[in-house]
Amino acid sequence: MLQGSCMSKSKAPSKASSSATARYEELKVKRAWDLAISPAKSLPMQAFMLYMSGGGVQIFSMGIVFMLLSSPFKNLASINNAFAQFAPKSAPPKALSTLVLQKIVYLLCNLLTLALGLWKCRSMGLLPTGSADWLAFETRGEPPEITLW
Amino acid sequence: MLSGFLSVSWLAALCINSVSALHASEVGVVDWHKSFIGVPLIGSPSISPTFHRVGSADGPTQSVVLAATSSNVLAALSPMNGSISWRYVFEDDEHVIAFKRHGDAVAAVSGPGGATLRIFDAVSGHLRLERRLHNADHGRIFNPETLGTSITFEPSTESGDVYILSNGHVLRRVNSSTGDLKWGWTSPDQASLVVYFKVVSTPTAVYLIGLAKSFASYTLHISVISPETGELLTSANLPSSISDGMNDVILLNDARDTSLGPRIVWLEGGAVRSIALSPELKGSASSTKGNIYKGILDIGLNEHGQIVAQKEDGTARVMKLEHDGLKVIWEFADSATVEHYSNSIYSGGFDKDGWPYVARTYWSHLLQKASVHVHASHLAEGKGLETGYTFAFDTKEHGIIRHVAVDVANPSELKVIPRVVLTTTTGAVQLWQQEQLLWTREEALANIVLTELVELPERKVVASHIDLENEAFGARLTRQLADAQNFPAYVSNFVKRFVTGSYASASSAVDSPADSSDTLYRDTFGFRKIIVAATPFGKIYGIDSANGRIVWSRVFGLGWAAKVGATVIPAKIFTLRTVGDGDKPQVALIAQRRADNSLVDTVLFHFDPLTGEDVTAASEGSELLQGHDVIPGEFTEAFLLPNETTKAVILFDEFLQVHIYPDTPATKEAFKAALPKLRVPLRTGKPGARQLTGHQITLEPEFTGRHLAYPTWTLPLPPSEEILALVPRTREPVASLGKVLGNRTTLYKYLNPHLVAVVAGSAPPAASCSVYLIDGAKGTIVYQVAVPPVEGTCNVKVMLTENWLVYHYWDAESAGTEGAKGYRVVSVELYEGAGVDDKTKSSDLTAYSNATTALTVFEKAYVSPSGVSTLTTTSTKYGITVKDIILATKNRQVQSLPRRLLDPRRPHHKPTTEESEEWLMQYDPVIPDDPRRTLSHSYEVEHVRRIVTSPSLLESTSLVFAFGLDLFFTRVAPSDTFDVLSENFNKLQLVLTVAGLGLAIVITKPMVSRKRLRERWYD
Repeated sequence: MLQGSCMSKSKAPSKASSSATARYEELKVKRAWDLAISPAKSLPMQAFMLYMSGGGVQIFSMGIVFMLLSSPFKNLASINNAFAQFAPKSAPPKALSTLVLQKIVYLLCNLLTLALGLWKCRSMGLLPTGSADWLAFETRGEPPEITLW
Repeated sequence: MLSGFLSVSWLAALCINSVSALHASEVGVVDWHKSFIGVPLIGSPSISPTFHRVGSADGPTQSVVLAATSSNVLAALSPMNGSISWRYVFEDDEHVIAFKRHGDAVAAVSGPGGATLRIFDAVSGHLRLERRLHNADHGRIFNPETLGTSITFEPSTESGDVYILSNGHVLRRVNSSTGDLKWGWTSPDQASLVVYFKVVSTPTAVYLIGLAKSFASYTLHISVISPETGELLTSANLPSSISDGMNDVILLNDARDTSLGPRIVWLEGGAVRSIALSPELKGSASSTKGNIYKGILDIGLNEHGQIVAQKEDGTARVMKLEHDGLKVIWEFADSATVEHYSNSIYSGGFDKDGWPYVARTYWSHLLQKASVHVHASHLAEGKGLETGYTFAFDTKEHGIIRHVAVDVANPSELKVIPRVVLTTTTGAVQLWQQEQLLWTREEALANIVLTELVELPERKVVASHIDLENEAFGARLTRQLADAQNFPAYVSNFVKRFVTGSYASASSAVDSPADSSDTLYRDTFGFRKIIVAATPFGKIYGIDSANGRIVWSRVFGLGWAAKVGATVIPAKIFTLRTVGDGDKPQVALIAQRRADNSLVDTVLFHFDPLTGEDVTAASEGSELLQGHDVIPGEFTEAFLLPNETTKAVILFDEFLQVHIYPDTPATKEAFKAALPKLRVPLRTGKPGARQLTGHQITLEPEFTGRHLAYPTWTLPLPPSEEILALVPRTREPVASLGKVLGNRTTLYKYLNPHLVAVVAGSAPPAASCSVYLIDGAKGTIVYQVAVPPVEGTCNVKVMLTENWLVYHYWDAESAGTEGAKGYRVVSVELYEGAGVDDKTKSSDLTAYSNATTALTVFEKAYVSPSGVSTLTTTSTKYGITVKDIILATKNRQVQSLPRRLLDPRRPHHKPTTEESEEWLMQYDPVIPDDPRRTLSHSYEVEHVRRIVTSPSLLESTSLVFAFGLDLFFTRVAPSDTFDVLSENFNKLQLVLTVAGLGLAIVITKPMVSRKRLRERWYD
């Protein structure tokens, strides 16, 4: 940030700084890509943590799972802010349309994290996928015939 | 989302402590046990209750009351308090035929024809000797049963020998201490018409008295046998003609005066005839002259030479054996049969010195009291003395006196203090010492046929029904001030409870001594209920389930049949109103009243189970519980109308017409509404060929004004098979519709509401035994299994609840299996459809759908450690708690069998992770005999016929009531008491910790804020 403002200060007096600006824009795009794939980069580490936390339902494993499940949503909610600093000068920094490609990749990578969390949930038996999970909500009516005993 | 996880962990929590034993500290607190002996037999003097005194005339003596009962028990009661000194329980089919007391021994013969001889110690009840006389299969059945059997001790006590006549023709001399047979004599012509029934011994000869059947009467036959060798000395017919069999023959001798030889006395043509017995059988009969006698009574004094003879008008005379024959020594004054006295009962008794006394007991309709007159022949210088007194016998409570046993104290010359033991028609045994009632035993409770456990009401606040709307200010103020009086007590109670944590505990007694008031109230957890118990002795009891105390008892009124006499046999019992319906509960008992003139009516008694009071107007002006004659005739079946709000009883008479009780417009309306839905399976056919037939009821009344049931299906059983038992599915809430498997799929339970288990079998030539599960709405066989019959009889115990069938039987033939013969218990579970996740919604499916037969069956057989007389399942309020099996074993215990052990899905291999998630254990055919499963502690719960379970207010806990000869009550928590705080929860510690933390916050808060302020100042 500080550096950026310095550069913009130095840019005004220098007329032949367009190449520097271009490099700067390039760097921003690169950094944007870095951010976009950062969730995917941390996946192996998270997977290792999940492995270490075990299959039981305890406070540690639940904390990690909760983090895995909540962080994609948190990230996506602040997606425009996260990419605002990498926005090119020409575009409005907080608009959804800026850096679309990176944002899509970022979304996909977050979905990967989410998928990892869900997979862990499933392996821990926390996803209501079996009929047994819905058994408690099943009801039965009165029988149409009554046998007297 | 978490439901799967929750249900799994829930199940886990339920299963985790499935074996939890009864703690010694809980015995007598959570349970109680009452022993009984059964209603005494009173048929003949050789079997009736009698006093027996052990000890010499000079030294201390000890008395017991000996009784043989209809429950096959020989017992001795303490005359002081009525407690059981000892009892010996015989096998179910082994009736006590006769018993004889002599010195400190009691000899008893039992079984058909007197198959087994046992000699007991009279005081301790120790079995000294047991000897089989003949195989029970070879026993001859006589009518009356006591015919053909007699016991006599050798008069000289040194030899200690006893003469046993059994089977009507075999006489043995047995040493009573070693059991050695000295000799045996068998009548040479067993097939002849002579049946011996009495034996008497003298030093020179043993006399056997028999009856030979001639055309219209009996002739006396006497055989004389040598006491030393057992040879027949002589035998002869006495010229005699006896009409009433053995009741008209008495053998007299006098143990006090052995110079008097034995004499046989019989009634012939209105005269009392007698003849002295001699080894040569010589001598001629003497006869009374003048008076006409209608009967001679053996009052148990025949070994003291006294009998009672009744003249034609009923006047009783005491006759005594003298050297010159039979002599009338006393005549009871006013003993002739009259309108205002009941018929007299004569009985004989002894005092400490062994003198005989004759007592006459009768009921006076005028005085409404019972009277006893005692005649002592040896008092008043040998002239005889009669003393009398009355006592306040309560005939409204105990019916009519049937038998009297008497025992006399004679402290001074003219003072005669008798005590009598009464046996009444309601099965009560009472001891009266002159006017004073010492104790009562309600032995009818050994024969309970029907029970109902009724919930008690809550202790209501008195001010609950105050008209709050129209209450004046002043009245309200005074009322509230009055209420405020209790406030300090309430506060102190609250504080005490809060600090000490002394809440009601699930393992504490429910009746505090302070709570001995007559009105019963529910306890905190609903453990206290009232047990309504109906007996075939015309009496119904209300028993407090907290301690087994009889709260009330009522004798059934006989209605119009009171004039001719009748017996009331309870058939069905229903709770018509529970506490939950508001107001007081009500119970209806349906009974068959068999009048002595052979008319049968169906009577309904409608009463309040808390007090036994009639809730209708039927008993007005009567001290008995009167019923309504609902059907003039027999009834086929009775059911409770399946309606939540309008409770009514539907009765079917023998023509299958419908009767409704109570017959009000509301109940008729409810019946009409339910009519098209009703399906009624009934047992039809004669006994021996009972079949199950389904019925429906006509929608419109017939011309008789009543609806009629018509048959729709018959169960297609093999023609020789007969329905032996129907066990309907218990009507209890089902908490879960399916069984959750380890991989979170579901096996849906087969919850067909029409399901009934049927035990059917056929008689020996082609003996068979089967258990069927039948759809009671259309008669489809859903499941069937053949069970090996045991000695030609089908003896299977069956339990059916939810989708779970358990049956228990004896497997005698081990062909094909590697196991030995033994008891088997088989657990069967039914699930809907073809497998997991396949549901047919069987619980609300119409009976006419084909899907009702689509089911999967899991079954596993286990080896049961012991025989079982009955089994049932626990029942809880919502059905969430695991259901355990409660069973009564043949070795007098009540046990519980955890469901986990009986799970039919137990794998044959080591359980996989998924299986162990379901808490399945590896299959092991042998159920270990774990003493921790015994609920009855060290009590000997004899002959349990049925076990009834009932829910309490705590979901975890089920009440268990076992009855038979004994009563036993306890409570069980199959999944442990998960819904109350555990006993060792430390409330004090929790309160102190919280208080300490609070205190710490109060102290440190200002310190911290001061420190912060300082930090800012200097920063």
